[in-house]
Amino acid sequence: MQIHQFHPTVAYGNAIGDQVLSLQRLLRHLGYSSEIFCEQLPLHFQGRTRRIAQYSHYSSPANILLLHFSLGYSPAVLSWLEHVPDRKVVVYHNITPHVYFDGINDVYREAAEVGREQLDRLSVLTEAGWGDSTFNCQELVERGWTRLGVLPIIFDPQRYRVRPERQVLQRWQGGVNILFVGRVSPNKRFEDLILTFYYVKRLVRPEARLLLVGSWRGMEPYLDFLQALIERLGLSDVFFAGHVSTAQLVAYYRCASVYLSMSEHEGFGVPLVESMYFGVPIVAYKTAAVPETLGDSSILVTAKDYAGTAELIGLLIEDASLRDQIVARQRERFQDFLPDKVEGRLRELLYSLGNGVEK
Amino acid sequence: MSDAWLEVSDENINVEEIMRRIRERVTSHGAVPSAEEPEESPLAVAEALWKEMIGDAFEESTFSRLVSVRQRDCDIVPRYYVIDWRIPILGPIHAVVRRIINAEIRRYLLPSLDKQSSFNRKMLRALKGLAEENARLRQEIEALRGAQESEIG
Repeated sequence: MQIHQFHPTVAYGNAIGDQVLSLQRLLRHLGYSSEIFCEQLPLHFQGRTRRIAQYSHYSSPANILLLHFSLGYSPAVLSWLEHVPDRKVVVYHNITPHVYFDGINDVYREAAEVGREQLDRLSVLTEAGWGDSTFNCQELVERGWTRLGVLPIIFDPQRYRVRPERQVLQRWQGGVNILFVGRVSPNKRFEDLILTFYYVKRLVRPEARLLLVGSWRGMEPYLDFLQALIERLGLSDVFFAGHVSTAQLVAYYRCASVYLSMSEHEGFGVPLVESMYFGVPIVAYKTAAVPETLGDSSILVTAKDYAGTAELIGLLIEDASLRDQIVARQRERFQDFLPDKVEGRLRELLYSLGNGVEK
Repeated sequence: MSDAWLEVSDENINVEEIMRRIRERVTSHGAVPSAEEPEESPLAVAEALWKEMIGDAFEESTFSRLVSVRQRDCDIVPRYYVIDWRIPILGPIHAVVRRIINAEIRRYLLPSLDKQSSFNRKMLRALKGLAEENARLRQEIEALRGAQESEIG
């Protein structure tokens, strides 16, 4: 039996791209023949991905095709899927609700809206739906799926075993650094990070820095707003790092004192697992899939009490015993996302599909 | 500050104790008066700024109901764009070449894009003015029609 995957495109350093590549490794390890098919062949992936036009050479009603879905497919892909006889399973990574892009990016807004509408069509085309989290699966239930399963994002520590970039370490190491990693997007609520940081600076640690790592491409109006807010509040020491390499990312985690997330919409939250791995205590706003990803580790805040959260951050920085307790539990939790653990889950999910899939 | 806004699932950690310490800290820090304190709360500043910068569509105008255009959309200059590649070859030479290309493209492209953006803004103002004028004329016509009908009646 062959189990192939489709995603419109694949990129390194992107949560879904990494998941597609990790899943391919697991599937091959389980003995399945597995290829990755894309609508647009990505750069730097020569030989690792194939065009969907080539899928006819692989297609068979006995195969399973995993359809990674995160921002919607083109009409050409939807039409192609209608003619593919393979058994299909959607792997849902969630779509940011389009309202977050109102006034920020009309193209993203439309893509998010159309993508969510396409779920209805995919529910007819696929026999099962897998989500990165129960939160994602819940949406699949609302869209008509009845056979569901949670397949978490695979965390491969191998990817992070690189030398941290020296320049980043030299610049930031040694201070009080509050870190957030994620695309500069309104659903991540960067303004709430800035507001919390305002109180950290004024009341708790005047020397603190807020390090914001993530691309702002397509989100320039939102970035302009954030920079205007920083200026209006008279804040210093807020740094937008933009898109970074893996070596730089590792360096940022190594420099971080606390990881703060005020995001309102997360289908999983890879940076949370990264923080667990790097031993950075996490304070996160309890919403969407965030509590599920954190499990019984970390600290959740259920209200946006900026001054209180700032004091909580102060407490975590100053109380080594509390910090160690949090970090120790986080280290236990991140083990659940290691390839070995997820492989067992994948095996169960494939078995639940029946018809020739062995346990 | 409301009481129950913190959750820790680890049973070895005393949440009540953490909350007590946070409350103490907030009280002690909050008690210090500051001359630099802004008149508006930071949240109010953020909300006002959001409305000003993001939520500024002409929602009520007839024109925007047909075409959703914002002042910001008129500006087509790619201000954040830089030529960038991450292949670490040739080190400093590569950096100099990149800087020159960036500067040269900006020198060549930005004046014309700025002109176009300025033209877009003027066009938007003109269209908005026309839409308002059109709405006013429609009202006048309706009023005249009403007056005419009542005269005939």
